[in-house]
Amino acid sequence: MATQIIMDLNGDTRHNFDAKDVKALFEAERRFKALTGAGFTAATRTASGEPFVTRTFDPTVEETLFFPRLVGG
Amino acid sequence: MFVTQLNDANGQLRRLLAACLQLARAFREWYLRPSTREQRGLKLLREWLSQKQLTQYDTHRYFEVIGCHTGKRYRIYHGNGANVIELDDAALPRTGWCFVPNDHLVAGDVMLAQKIALETDERGALASANNFTPR
Repeated sequence: MATQIIMDLNGDTRHNFDAKDVKALFEAERRFKALTGAGFTAATRTASGEPFVTRTFDPTVEETLFFPRLVGG
Repeated sequence: MFVTQLNDANGQLRRLLAACLQLARAFREWYLRPSTREQRGLKLLREWLSQKQLTQYDTHRYFEVIGCHTGKRYRIYHGNGANVIELDDAALPRTGWCFVPNDHLVAGDVMLAQKIALETDERGALASANNFTPR
């Protein structure tokens, strides 16, 4: 089961999906594009746990974290 | 007779005060507890911190990251604004940086976004940041 985690006012919202389910995968890709298009950064982790930013949807990734655009405070 | 009644009243008053104090402490703990969303943010942060960062955070309420472009060290304090401090070679505060997600997020989420930004796109993060002189 893969997960997309979106930071939001509630802390975060998690969307789990089965990467083997074509419909669920399509929905996950649509969500990825919608969020990154809205300025969210998509980050995943390497096997050793280091974060890296991704700009394209990868159906094999287990966990993707989305956080809003960063601005000067 | 009067002295005995006075002693009884004194004892009852002490017990009442102790009970009130206990209630006040319980209320304070309840009032100061992290909200569910704050807890969720901290849980997510803890999932993404390295073991070293997690140990630092649990000990000091801050953790350090290495900028991916310059190799500079930054200390991210618990908080959701003006909480990133660039350190010099002696681990002393050099510059404060303020950059936050443009949505209102809980501290755990803010710190995690700052960590990922510095570790994956240091220049981009600092380009959007305001700096300040750390105390």
